[in-house]
Amino acid sequence: MILYALILVPIIAGALIYLIKNRGVLWFAFFLQAALLGLSVYNFVIVQLHGPYDIVLGNFSAIAGITLRCDTFSAALALLTVFIYFVCFLFGILEKFMNNLFIFFFLTLQALIIAIFLSRDLFNVYVLTEVSTIIVSVLIMYKKDSSSLYDGMIYLITNIAAMTFFLFGIGFIYRLFGTLNMDLITSKMYKVQDVKALALPFAFLITGVGLKCAFLPLFSWLPKAHATTSAPSIVSVILSALYVKSGIFHFIKLREMFMPAINLDEIFLIIGVATGIVGFILAMSQKDIKLILAYHTISQLGLVLVGVASGSQFSYFGGILHLFNHAIFKSLLFLAAGIITDKYGERNIHKIRGVFKKMPYVSIMMMAAMLGITGAPLFNGSVSKFMIESGVHGRVLEYEVILINLGTIISFIKLSYIFGGGKGESRIYVDMWKKASVTIMGIMCLAMGFAGPLFISSIFNYRIDFSITEYLKNMIIFFVSLGGGWLLYHKYLSKTKFIKNGFALELGINGIAMSMTAFFAFLVAAVYLFA
Amino acid sequence: MRKISFINAQNTAIIIFFIGVYGLCARRNIIKTIISLGIMGGGVILFFLSVNRTAQSMPPIFTEEVAVAADPLPQALVITAIVVGISVTAVALVMFIAMYHKFGTTNWLKAMKHRKDIGI
Repeated sequence: MILYALILVPIIAGALIYLIKNRGVLWFAFFLQAALLGLSVYNFVIVQLHGPYDIVLGNFSAIAGITLRCDTFSAALALLTVFIYFVCFLFGILEKFMNNLFIFFFLTLQALIIAIFLSRDLFNVYVLTEVSTIIVSVLIMYKKDSSSLYDGMIYLITNIAAMTFFLFGIGFIYRLFGTLNMDLITSKMYKVQDVKALALPFAFLITGVGLKCAFLPLFSWLPKAHATTSAPSIVSVILSALYVKSGIFHFIKLREMFMPAINLDEIFLIIGVATGIVGFILAMSQKDIKLILAYHTISQLGLVLVGVASGSQFSYFGGILHLFNHAIFKSLLFLAAGIITDKYGERNIHKIRGVFKKMPYVSIMMMAAMLGITGAPLFNGSVSKFMIESGVHGRVLEYEVILINLGTIISFIKLSYIFGGGKGESRIYVDMWKKASVTIMGIMCLAMGFAGPLFISSIFNYRIDFSITEYLKNMIIFFVSLGGGWLLYHKYLSKTKFIKNGFALELGINGIAMSMTAFFAFLVAAVYLFA
Repeated sequence: MRKISFINAQNTAIIIFFIGVYGLCARRNIIKTIISLGIMGGGVILFFLSVNRTAQSMPPIFTEEVAVAADPLPQALVITAIVVGISVTAVALVMFIAMYHKFGTTNWLKAMKHRKDIGI
């Protein structure tokens, strides 16, 4: 019942709000989020105590019916979704753009994201993702100005093409296994004699999901869509902090599903490292504050992929913890960036100065998020990055993870110049709801730094031995890379043309389709050669 | 005879799908891109219909004859996929109309150039 409530209540409420054209419904939506938050916490506790449970719609057998499965991981992701939505409503409660049409789309997207996290039926995942793709593109072009129309169009076409790849993969899977339930397929996977028969379904499914996760050749659609000018900043929050997680969640599930037959972790590691490095290099060269954050989403997703595919259990859990942490600090960064761009009417970071003088409170909270994303000691990013690093201790990968973190530090040093300057400027008024929302997220950044290991061990029932000396060593690495990054930026990078003029790697629709086909062909070849 | 057996619904579906992919890769007209998506969807639908189907199988509804029934699940899935495909095409076309009013072109490259001129 709880799962039905979590999925259906937002949709029904959204439809009701659309019909009642009254400003007061915004408060109704806000209290609804609070109630849903309570419900999802309750659901999380129940799953913790009594273990995972399944619901098959219409009481069919699991082979034919549509299954919703709630395990601790899914329950935690549903909780995260409702939590971030709650903060977004808190943030936007006085905003003009929050009219009934917007809330309808926004709440429907929430229901779809929760359903994607709970669904274990491949076809159901396809339908939910397709519908959410349409809603996201409507939200991107919500204000209908020229730039966002193009961004929304690119988003829609590329994601639909990717989901068509995914659907073709589902067809192959159904022909081979006779079911669409991911758990049943996993249990049958080890019986597959001829691994080459799985090459096409594997490549189709991973290409579809890989575009959603913005892996290396397929990320070109993401920055523009996440940082689009006209969409309100809470849409950027939902897209960058939550919606990409639905892709990476299903990537993790599909990887586990194919694991008994196809193990391409080495290749995923290379893709992950490359995604991380390309993400931060492009982020460094941007001038637009939201584009910097959007490119960092790509970089951090690469890091999650490294953690998941590294083969070490410790790194795997570090990767999953990083997924949660990324949602928290990235939503705080986008919220703060939204306040700054609203008040300044400017997105170019070279022109924004004196934020600390004008908005000291928001600046402090934004700094907490920046410390989180760069992996500063005691903040949330440090724990997950430490777990990823120590799981791959002694391998080349460890240095690559440190390199990605160094890149993150350098581009946030570049971003942090917006705080300085602005002598003698007066303060700008920021309303209390916005302050409250950034405060909640700022506290979460610090709280997850302490509670992160506990959180991950309660989700996966896995005891984490946290060595303090190793963590201290990690602190030293952080401070060394902070100093090194600062020196590198000042002495060398800030003078290069690459950083000064900016650099955009933007593919059109043909380029994205080509890279998708190339990625697909590469995966088929990889299965034939390596698996 | 062996050559003919190669021409079955599944291989045809794969070929149709990749014709659609070619359209996405090589055509610069926005309408043709949307049509290519439709072609890809058509290939997938053909594939689903041919899953677990033999020449002898009967429709899975009540008949006098005794024969192997076709698998009904993929057909049920295909109806959903067709409906999703239609709505997606409709949304894409509506968005294209809105975009055409602003950009005045059906060419991706010109639209991209226009987008770059607007800046961030």
